[in-house]
Amino acid sequence: MTPRTRLAAPLLAAALLTAACGGGGGSTAAPASDAAKPGEKIKLTVGLFGDFGFKPLYEEYKKTHPNIEIVENVTQFNDHHSNLVKRLATNAGAGDVEAVEVGYISTFTAQPNKFVDLKQYGLDKRQSDYLDWKWQQGLSKDGGRLLGLGTDVGGLAMCYRKDLFKKAGLPTGRAEVAALWPTWEQYIDTGKKFAAANVAGAKFTDSPGEIFRAMVNQAPVGLYDAQDNIIVGSNPDVKKAWDLSNRLTQEGLTAKLAAFSPPWNTGFAKGSFATIICPAWMTGFIQEQAKDATGKWDIATVPGGSGNSGGSHLMVPKQSKHPKEAAELIDFLTSKDNQARVFKEEGTFPSIPALYDDPSIQNFTKPFFGDAPIGKIYSEAAKALKPQHLGPKEADVRVAIGNGLGRVEQGKQTPDEAWAQVLEDVKKIK
Amino acid sequence: MRLRYLTLIAVAFFSAFPLYYSVVVASRHNSALAQVPPPLLPGGNLLANVARVFDTVPFGLALVNSLIVAGSISVAVMFFSTLAGFAFAKLRFRGRNAMLVITVATMMVPAQLGIIPLYMLMVKLEWTGTTYALIVPALVNAFGVFFMTQYLSRALPTELLEAGRVDGCSTWGLFWHVVLPAARPAAAVLGMLTFMSAWNDYFWPLVVLNPDNPTVQVALSTLASGYVNDYVLGLAGTAIGTLPLVAVFALFGKHIIGGIMQGAVKG
Amino acid sequence: MSALPLAVTRRRRRSVRHTLDLRVSPYAYVAPFFLLFCAFGLFPLVYTAWVSLHEWTLLSDTQEFIGLGNYATLLADPYFWNATFNTLSIGVLSTVPQLLLAIWLAHLLNRRLRFQTLFRISLLLPNVTSVVAVVVIFSQLFGRDFGLINWVLSWFGVGTVDWAAGTATSHVALSVMIMWRWTGYNALIFLAAMQAVPRELYEAATIDGASGFRQLRSITIPMIRPTIIFVVIVSTIGAMQIIAEPMLFGQSSGGGGGIATGGPDRQFQTLALFVYEQGFANSTFDFGYASAASWLMFLAVVIVAGINFLISRRVRGGVV
Repeated sequence: MTPRTRLAAPLLAAALLTAACGGGGGSTAAPASDAAKPGEKIKLTVGLFGDFGFKPLYEEYKKTHPNIEIVENVTQFNDHHSNLVKRLATNAGAGDVEAVEVGYISTFTAQPNKFVDLKQYGLDKRQSDYLDWKWQQGLSKDGGRLLGLGTDVGGLAMCYRKDLFKKAGLPTGRAEVAALWPTWEQYIDTGKKFAAANVAGAKFTDSPGEIFRAMVNQAPVGLYDAQDNIIVGSNPDVKKAWDLSNRLTQEGLTAKLAAFSPPWNTGFAKGSFATIICPAWMTGFIQEQAKDATGKWDIATVPGGSGNSGGSHLMVPKQSKHPKEAAELIDFLTSKDNQARVFKEEGTFPSIPALYDDPSIQNFTKPFFGDAPIGKIYSEAAKALKPQHLGPKEADVRVAIGNGLGRVEQGKQTPDEAWAQVLEDVKKIK
Repeated sequence: MRLRYLTLIAVAFFSAFPLYYSVVVASRHNSALAQVPPPLLPGGNLLANVARVFDTVPFGLALVNSLIVAGSISVAVMFFSTLAGFAFAKLRFRGRNAMLVITVATMMVPAQLGIIPLYMLMVKLEWTGTTYALIVPALVNAFGVFFMTQYLSRALPTELLEAGRVDGCSTWGLFWHVVLPAARPAAAVLGMLTFMSAWNDYFWPLVVLNPDNPTVQVALSTLASGYVNDYVLGLAGTAIGTLPLVAVFALFGKHIIGGIMQGAVKG
Repeated sequence: MSALPLAVTRRRRRSVRHTLDLRVSPYAYVAPFFLLFCAFGLFPLVYTAWVSLHEWTLLSDTQEFIGLGNYATLLADPYFWNATFNTLSIGVLSTVPQLLLAIWLAHLLNRRLRFQTLFRISLLLPNVTSVVAVVVIFSQLFGRDFGLINWVLSWFGVGTVDWAAGTATSHVALSVMIMWRWTGYNALIFLAAMQAVPRELYEAATIDGASGFRQLRSITIPMIRPTIIFVVIVSTIGAMQIIAEPMLFGQSSGGGGGIATGGPDRQFQTLALFVYEQGFANSTFDFGYASAASWLMFLAVVIVAGINFLISRRVRGGVV
């Protein structure tokens, strides 16, 4: 649920080179056929990376399914995905339900034999509920099998600190702020004004990484073309995003704090940056990090149109002994009502368009963000979304580019040198 | 003289500081980490944070598991290493040097190299998720064998063994009556070092265990896997995961570390 | 080391048993280690050697034999050489001062002291503290904007040092973490060996008026040579396999970069981290390439440890 671009990780968990996810005792892969006898106790393990807000849903599910016991195994983002790979490779140890973040979804859907086709259990009936592109992401490459059901999408907005804007002599109202930056160029110009005001200890934004990701996600075509060729070198939109991101660095607008690192967290508490890219799931993050900054943050529209950053799917590995029950659980966890409920509690935004005009979502506000109408903001963002095709090694390409941006930021290379190395690195990705 | 004490006090201070600092942070809020200069005295939140740790992960179970794993590994390593070290250091047999070289070479194998095949093996044995997967592969290690070999080759006088032979001891009798007493100080150190590294090992446990049956290190990783980096929770866990160990060393330290003092065999 | 003379025995049966005992028991004594190693060490080793000869990713079901292809690619991979350089650099920076300091500390503790046990336990603390906490705390100390170390340096007019960004500075920061963790551990090993040195030697030297340092050089070091060799080899092996510190430092320093690239410029990516990146951290999960890299790493460890062994064997007194 917390999508992350660069494989950035919360630190403590990082201590773990590899972490256990999934449970399931670890016997060898059993053929997925033995349906449970009625009344038999069944243990389902759910492997997640972070808090998906599912715990209250499990309790509810157990009321109607008394024979089901649910164990949630939470590991840190990177460990979760790399462990899932190990468990798929050795055909043992994966959970019955496994979450996969959008950066990895194509990696896994390219291996349809490792997962259960959810059509077998009738989940294709859910297609009409979903955003079409979100649905497509969960299909195998030939479109024949349904491997994962979406949980959330990450429509984009821009969060900003009203108090810092005020100090810099900038407007603080949502509409006025949005009017400052219809385009990314104007966003940079606003940043220059902010920098000129010399607000002590604060930069305009955290670092270019997440901004680059947002810009690429707004383009009709991103890092891959429809045939799964990497087109970083030939896609002008990628180059433009690269150039703009580096301009942020060169104009001295970034605090040089990589997203999700401990100093970045400290930056929230310290007010080290005035704006930050805000996919829906980020709102929960900010609220956690900047507990004592209630009412200081607010949300405006993002420059450059709309895009998606992050989001997840739930999948059932082939090795699960209870694929039918696992599929039913996924159906429940991703249901319309439950996605709405999770949004209100956790901030992760539903992938079910029917909800976007639902009054309970449209009128949903968050006191922490100065009562910003986050339901409305993210609904608009999600409706305006143009789907973008993602390739199988999306995560690796992003790391290569993220490292390039980092080299420029650390002053080790000029943007051109860094770009040349990015193209070399990307060439090596198989 | 005074300089020696000053040096040792400085070393003790630096050694203890991070652990002390974990306790300081664990007794405050996350915002404490953002203060300059950072706080150096404990706040009042320690118990609340410790309670949170126990609420978030099965930490009691983790402590028990870690004790069982580290304890059984240490005892086995002490015994088997002394046995093999005695053979390498003091007995003559064909292929001795080659075997010793192979033993040392096994230490050079990068740990990550074996993870996947070892995991496959554990799947076959149906040990994944259990502490067997941690204990059995670690019952003897090259480090211990090499350590005892080096120690015994110097600290165990050959005359003593010869005297034992003349008295009609079998090799096993020698091991039991002569070698073990002489090896005691080094074995105590080895046991302690083994215990510590088993306690702090996380690379392999994280692959093979699940969060519902964790060791302390696995539990610590789960603590921090929430979607916010909660250092306070993590460092509170670290403090509770480490302090029992320190307490054990403090209580038995005289016996363990003191053992080093009495062990010297007068040759 | 002298062989044990056959004790003269009167009864034949007993002598047969005795001969058997002498012949067989050494093998029986080293058997537990070798049996366990064959089960849990050799199989993974051989298996990965086999994997390294293939185009083999963790997720695909088909593997293609490519002979030494992975090795050829590796030897032409600048990032592999970069990681090799970083490993050696961090290894030297952390190991040499660490061992000298450890011998010195052990020497200080090898006397009658007040609070002896307390001091000895304090040596163990760094190694007991979990590596997670160590890196969290040290990363904070080495923090760019709010770190204690930069704060202290600022009194001396040194500007803000971005420890994680520079190659040299990041190696220094990592070496400090590694040294902090292992110095006490090694000091304890040296101490155990020093305890076995006969006291009379020191007493005689003291009567002759030799200083403490002189005694260390001419009595202690020659007497604990096997242990020194042991510690040098073990530390070398350990230093060649450093992974946790750079990995955590990369994630906790705020410099960005992938989870396992050791900074955006790979300025502190070690060999072990490189292997981890290829096999588990990027979404290719290139098991074949990672296996080949770990085999080359194995070779590198053998070579470096061998060189250090030869050097440390020459230790007499004096220069360590």
